Amino acid sequence: MESRTFVLKHKLPIARVEKYWKGLEEGKVYGTVCKICGAKYYPPQVDCSKCFNSEVEWVEISGEGTIECFTQLHSFPQGFEFVGKPYTIAVAKFGDFKVMGWYEGEIPKVGEKVRIKTGKDETGVWKVYFEPVG
Amino acid sequence: MRVGIIGVGCSKFGVRDDVTLQELAFEAVKEAVEDAGISKEDIEMSVVGTAGTRSYELMPAVPINEYCGFAGKGPIRVEAACATGSAAVYTAYSTIKSGIADIVIAIGIEKMNEVDTPTSLAVGGRSGSYLWEFHQYGTTFPGYYAMHASAHMARYGTTEKQLAMVAVKNHRNAAKNPKAQFQKEITLEKALSSRYVAYPLRLFDCSAITDGSAAAILASEEKIKELGLKDKAVWIEGIGYSSDTANLSKRVDYVGLKATVEASRMAYKMAKIDDPVKQLDVAALHDCFTIAEIMAYEDLGFCKKGEGGKFIENGDSDFGGKIPVNTFGGLKAKGHPLGATGVGMVYEIVKQLRGEAGELQVDLKNYKGLTHNIGGTGHFGWVFILGV
Ligand SMILES: CC(C)(COP(=O)(O)OP(=O)(O)OC[C@H]1O[C@@H](n2cnc3c(N)ncnc32)[C@H](O)[C@@H]1OP(=O)(O)O)[C@@H](O)C(=O)NCCC(=O)NCCS
Ligand SMILES: [Zn+2]
Repeated sequence: MESRTFVLKHKLPIARVEKYWKGLEEGKVYGTVCKICGAKYYPPQVDCSKCFNSEVEWVEISGEGTIECFTQLHSFPQGFEFVGKPYTIAVAKFGDFKVMGWYEGEIPKVGEKVRIKTGKDETGVWKVYFEPVG
Repeated sequence: MRVGIIGVGCSKFGVRDDVTLQELAFEAVKEAVEDAGISKEDIEMSVVGTAGTRSYELMPAVPINEYCGFAGKGPIRVEAACATGSAAVYTAYSTIKSGIADIVIAIGIEKMNEVDTPTSLAVGGRSGSYLWEFHQYGTTFPGYYAMHASAHMARYGTTEKQLAMVAVKNHRNAAKNPKAQFQKEITLEKALSSRYVAYPLRLFDCSAITDGSAAAILASEEKIKELGLKDKAVWIEGIGYSSDTANLSKRVDYVGLKATVEASRMAYKMAKIDDPVKQLDVAALHDCFTIAEIMAYEDLGFCKKGEGGKFIENGDSDFGGKIPVNTFGGLKAKGHPLGATGVGMVYEIVKQLRGEAGELQVDLKNYKGLTHNIGGTGHFGWVFILGV
């Protein structure tokens, strides 16, 4: 037998980190830095987990970074069928920040240099992309 | 006051479309009660560990408790992703330590096959930090471990062949375990030619989507004496726990799991273990993906960091090696029903230490064994040392 259909779709309360999501639309990737203790956050957060203050500065993460790890997915999760082909996720390091993003290319190498950019996928979700350098 | 395990049970793991969640729990609970040789009525509290979401029963602790005849006795429902079972055993342990109850049952259970594979992959992928990982990038669990594999291979030269050797060993053990999901051996060639699920991990580098249950009955030392079960009890000699950040972008590196390092150091200290390979006879490690077992050898101190690939290659984790690992087939081949996994590891080590593992019995010298259970990619870490 089959159960009754049960659809779960959640609201995402992004009010306090709206600058991040607006930034992606302008081609910018933001992290935050605590004004009191200097702790750095990516993904950005406006409360400091370290010193418990809530005063942060928004800083842009830009330029070239280095890939620390990656995978190319061949079995897709529900919600990502739209991609239609294997997609590559990587974490790259830009100075003091590490960022997750989609790699624009086939199989990267750990240690490879990439440039950070933003873009929108076919479902309208903005995200970080890594472009191979050279 | 010590706490001991007096009874264990485990269902057949696999695709269990033949039973409901309640019926599946009943299989392990009945076996554990019979194994302890006590009356079901002696159990004062039940802890139900299930990660949930993949089953239609969303708040499963009470339906399970009702079906197993424990209504009124708890239940406490616990969740720690793939380490849920260990959190359940810990909750039972601490309930006894607190003096609230003398006999507690920890039930670990998961039915993962009530949804399809894409849904299961999405549930796993959503259990890091949803907004910043799954929502944007469509992460999956095989993907999270594949990222660690890519870093480990790049830094230490670990090979796809070494990864596959973990699968071959664990399938070989599972072939002799009638409760395993995959009771069949595989060849290195078969593993190395299987399709990629999350590059560099192939199908045979992955644990499967599994339904299963396991149960362990714990009791205080006084109660164990009173019941005359002292000869049978397996004692919890060490417990260690830790965790790490939800977001992978906040990790220091991707070549090991800090939660394993910290949890094991804590458990070793409590159990007075300073040379695990020499002092332990057997270990059940969290091999949800082959790279996870290789990282665990290193992070648990079975070998030096970076030498996990050599450890499997040399047969050090096989029967007759330095320390047999995943003798019942591991998550890879025995199966990985999330909530049941940690309790299933306790089942395995209890059977080994009692000398009841049949064809899969290890040689006992120290009468001590270890369980290592990870939730997520080191999002939770639990290590137990058991001994008789
Ligand atoms: C790897 C994975 C995606 C494969 O799922 P799938 O593509 O739907 O595969 P299917 O269920 O269609 O199985 C195809 C065949 O491969 C076998 N198979 C499936 N998974 C397997 C595995 N992990 N190892 C070996 N064989 C496997 C099946 O038994 C089936 O064999 P058959 O054709 O002889 O019947 C899935 O097993 C998975 O997601 N595993 C990881 C689970 C996980 O992430 N757990 C961690 C906690 S979140
Ligand atoms: Zn601060």
